[in-house]
Amino acid sequence: MTLSKDLVAASATPIILAILQAKDSYGYAIIQKVQEISDHQIAWTDGMLYPVLHRLETAGFIESYWLDADSGRRRKYYHITTAGNEECALLKQQWSVVQHALQVLSEEYMK
Amino acid sequence: MFELESQIRKWKTHLYSAGSIGHADIEELESHLRDSIDDLSARGIDIEEAFLLAVRRLGDIAVIHEEFAKLSTEDVWRQLLVPADNPLTARKNRKELAIVIGLALFAGLLSKIPALFGYGDIEASMEIYARNATFFAFVPVSLYFIWKRSLPIRQSLLVMCSYVVLAAVINLYPTHEPHHTMMLAALHLPIVILFLLMYFYGGPSNQSHNGWRSTNTRLNFVRFVGESFIYCILIGLGGIVLILLTGGTFELIEVDAFPFIGSWMAPMGFFGLFTVAAYLVGQKKNLIESIAPVLAKIFTPLFLLVLLSLIAAFIITPNQAYENRDMLIWFDVILALVLALTLYSMSAKDFSENESTVTVDGKPAVGKVQNQHLIWDILTLALVISAVIVDAIALSGIIVRLSASGFTPNKTAALGENIILLVNLVLLTIGYSRYILRKGTFQRIVVMQMRFLTVFAVWAAFVVVAFPLIFGFK
Repeated sequence: MTLSKDLVAASATPIILAILQAKDSYGYAIIQKVQEISDHQIAWTDGMLYPVLHRLETAGFIESYWLDADSGRRRKYYHITTAGNEECALLKQQWSVVQHALQVLSEEYMK
Repeated sequence: MFELESQIRKWKTHLYSAGSIGHADIEELESHLRDSIDDLSARGIDIEEAFLLAVRRLGDIAVIHEEFAKLSTEDVWRQLLVPADNPLTARKNRKELAIVIGLALFAGLLSKIPALFGYGDIEASMEIYARNATFFAFVPVSLYFIWKRSLPIRQSLLVMCSYVVLAAVINLYPTHEPHHTMMLAALHLPIVILFLLMYFYGGPSNQSHNGWRSTNTRLNFVRFVGESFIYCILIGLGGIVLILLTGGTFELIEVDAFPFIGSWMAPMGFFGLFTVAAYLVGQKKNLIESIAPVLAKIFTPLFLLVLLSLIAAFIITPNQAYENRDMLIWFDVILALVLALTLYSMSAKDFSENESTVTVDGKPAVGKVQNQHLIWDILTLALVISAVIVDAIALSGIIVRLSASGFTPNKTAALGENIILLVNLVLLTIGYSRYILRKGTFQRIVVMQMRFLTVFAVWAAFVVVAFPLIFGFK
């Protein structure tokens, strides 16, 4: 089962922000992490992550900086800002409202 | 044989070409691609397979472009002064900017040196300024590269010494009426200096480093010169508007600003321009990188039309070309421009494309792409061939004039240039024909052309240094 396009688009922001809450990370690692935690159910087209990161940066939710990895490869790391943390909390709340509603409905149906 | 690096380069060029993805973004995507390839090949997938898979996972490039274009429509120009990604680069960028501004001012001050010797009036002592303008413009650019590339000081000083020798030659040689050898020297000096500048651009050549001798560096240098030229024109136009505005506004309040503009603002701006352009080319690669191939493609057919109409005009009225001296000069100018255009389109072409084709089931996978380029290669060949014909006409014109009035400095210089141009154009014709018939690689044309640059520089140096001696400084 894979998620629909709209759902992927809507969930991308909270997921990225939540990953960055744990620690600063870069594009490739973020995608790896998403696959790991969703057991490969959430499959993003790799390239689409970057415009999203851009938008989040422009909105002020994350900041970026370049770091050289041990291999000598340059990587662009992202760091969540205070505004990003607030946004993340808000989005999580919204998602749990939806989730809760769905749960209530399915419980009513079961009865 | 699959070459990862050249494939990645090709992929990057492809990303650049639409222009909506910035330099840093492409670097980020590249780093992602490489991570992805590493991971895949660690799982035992071979490198070619891993590359194709990683590219596919990144997704449809057209869609990525679209997404990025939505983001960046308004900030293409903001990227011009590179945003600092971290405090360290920020400090380095600020330092570089300070050095560039300092060197630009230094260029302006250099142009005031003649004033110290009592030649302050630019119009009255135009000759002195014409002779030395090249130094005012390019010495600061050389210094910029010495700093930027941290070149070894001893060797750089050695090359700088040749600047000094040339400056001595051009200023200390006596000059008599009608000053033809002096004007020729002033005209040829930029070619020599540009060639020397290549050393500062590429750095020294040795075993560990492909410096200024390598074909690649030379090709990059050609592109650099072309791009600087575009920047110079853009900024120069802005400068002219600024000067007119300044002069006009001060006139309204009855202050005559033109003496200040003429002796300070204009020369400072003009000579500083070159350093600033050199800086911008290095800083903002992708902005012009996407323009260069387009310009080459616009002007190749147009120049072909000009050359064809020249040939037609010559067939209809052959005597005009021989008798009118100006016409021959214009022939030469157009030929030089054609050569410059060929060089430029050469540097703008991604010639690694045909050397490393990805094969799928034994068939070249990028066969279609090759055909797309073919039409442009044929156009370039047509351009070069018509240039050979025009050059032959010009050459015969010069020989007719030489037999009529003997060797004068101007005609000898024109003769030399035409012979060199003819040889170069014939070599290009052979190269392009072989390439189109698939008997030779594009790389070979490039190697030949980049080596040939030395011939131009040597001839120009000969005109600067030896012509005055041969023709008695007249």
